[in-house]
Amino acid sequence: MAIHDLFTILGTEVLAAGSSDDDSGLLGYVLFASGFVFYAYVFIRYRNTDKRHSHESETEASLANMKEKDEFVKARRGLTNRRLRGANNTAVHGALNKSTAGLLGNSTAGLLSKLRG
Amino acid sequence: MSTGNTEQEIPLQHAEAHSNPASANAEPAEPVSPETSSAQPDVGAGVEAEAVADTRVFHTDDDAKDGLTKCERCGATEISLNIATGMLRCGFCRHEFSTQNAAEAFNLDTDIASLEGTLMGSGSSDIIPSAEEVLTFKCTACGAEVVIDTNNSTQARCHWCRNTLSMNQQVPNGAVPDMILPFSINKESAVERIAKFVGKRKFFAHPTFKSEFNPENVMGVYMPYMIVDVNAHARLSGEGEHQTRSYTVKVGDKEQRRYDADLYNVERDFDIHINDLSVESSSERLNQNTAENTNNIINTIMPFDVENSVRYDSNYLAGFTSERRDSNLDQLKPIAHTQAQDIARHRVNDTLKFYDRGVRWTNETVDVHGERWVSAYLPVWLYSYQQRKSNGSTFLHYVAVNARTGETMGSVPLNKGKLFLVSGIVQVVGMIVGTVLVVLGI
Repeated sequence: MAIHDLFTILGTEVLAAGSSDDDSGLLGYVLFASGFVFYAYVFIRYRNTDKRHSHESETEASLANMKEKDEFVKARRGLTNRRLRGANNTAVHGALNKSTAGLLGNSTAGLLSKLRG
Repeated sequence: MSTGNTEQEIPLQHAEAHSNPASANAEPAEPVSPETSSAQPDVGAGVEAEAVADTRVFHTDDDAKDGLTKCERCGATEISLNIATGMLRCGFCRHEFSTQNAAEAFNLDTDIASLEGTLMGSGSSDIIPSAEEVLTFKCTACGAEVVIDTNNSTQARCHWCRNTLSMNQQVPNGAVPDMILPFSINKESAVERIAKFVGKRKFFAHPTFKSEFNPENVMGVYMPYMIVDVNAHARLSGEGEHQTRSYTVKVGDKEQRRYDADLYNVERDFDIHINDLSVESSSERLNQNTAENTNNIINTIMPFDVENSVRYDSNYLAGFTSERRDSNLDQLKPIAHTQAQDIARHRVNDTLKFYDRGVRWTNETVDVHGERWVSAYLPVWLYSYQQRKSNGSTFLHYVAVNARTGETMGSVPLNKGKLFLVSGIVQVVGMIVGTVLVVLGI
């Protein structure tokens, strides 16, 4: 995992805690957690607890007879989230290393459990 | 797999239905004579299948022989893998030869779209709990009884005449797979890769590990895997969003970002053909709880070029160790099917680029119409280090090298005291700098 991923996750948490989408002072908030981020980065670099075989992308597969249906429903205005809430088209359920699945699912649970451990 | 290869249809009762009754019913306590084994009915080298319901078994050890496997040129039994060429080499006359490519021998490269039901190699059959793991063979050179512990190898040297005895016929204990992928990266190269990997992680490494680390202790291990081809039909439905506008609004005295998006109902209906999905078939390796072990390291070095696997011959194991398969299809199918669903979900993303805000699937159905299972030994250079912690517990760390691709991954024990100290310093500096930045609103 690259350190910018950790910053992204941690930064998201800090912002969520502050109930604000304001970007001002973001770097400062991230630096408040710099020791934890550094610990997590070194821990993961040495122990590689997040690593696994990416079966979903590293396995050869071909698609055939594709049928696509895309039906407009409505326009949404003034959304606060950058991504569709609950988007799961990149989710992985078959990873044997579950801590990785947590990270891929944009959850901080895996990271926090490592920090606790 | 083409049904044209199905020559017989015999009800399958798990692994008891092997076409090799003497092998399947072998009484390990009794010496098994190689002559007896080779005297079994020759059913030919072609792929043969048994079936029950929608499960068919094709035999992968029909012409395999236990006991002394001799060099066809000089008759010696001192045969081992020449990593440089990937072929077996006689230790006396240097004659080199290899077994047939497994894909060709077992028709594994037939169209996946034609797969129906479950097709499995006989080396993938269910393990019968009563099947012995330690087998006794009679050396035909001198008559001595030689024991092979299938947990670590399928070969043993006769303690009297020094000939090497091999076990190539499948018994329902998971020791002899359908195919094997020989090592192609030698020990020197593996040692170099492991030393380089650990060398980049020395600063925070545990001092005991640093003093004891010796990459020369790496071992060549054949790990058990199941290789699966899947013919499935997938149907996914849900909602997707396409961003139409991004802008900022004033909330109080701060600016916040807002997005406009179009919402769509999305459906994708397609066939998916998955080739060579690899699943660990050792129950120990399937446990990848990183709080308990470092098995995820071995998992990470996949994939292997399994299409280059060859028919199993115990001589490929000479000089290496092996880990016996101890998981059956019933245990592995749910994992493979969940992974197949993951692959379908990810592959279909190529058709979803319009939905730049993502897609939320609310219904996913993947129907497996056909699947082909083949057991394989795949080659890994493995460095292991047993860390003894201050509380008396131990933790096993691995550094593993894929002995085909060279991909290297590892777990290095940490000097946590040193890491805590440095992290604390980073935290203090970060707090000071962060406070300044927040005050300045940067």
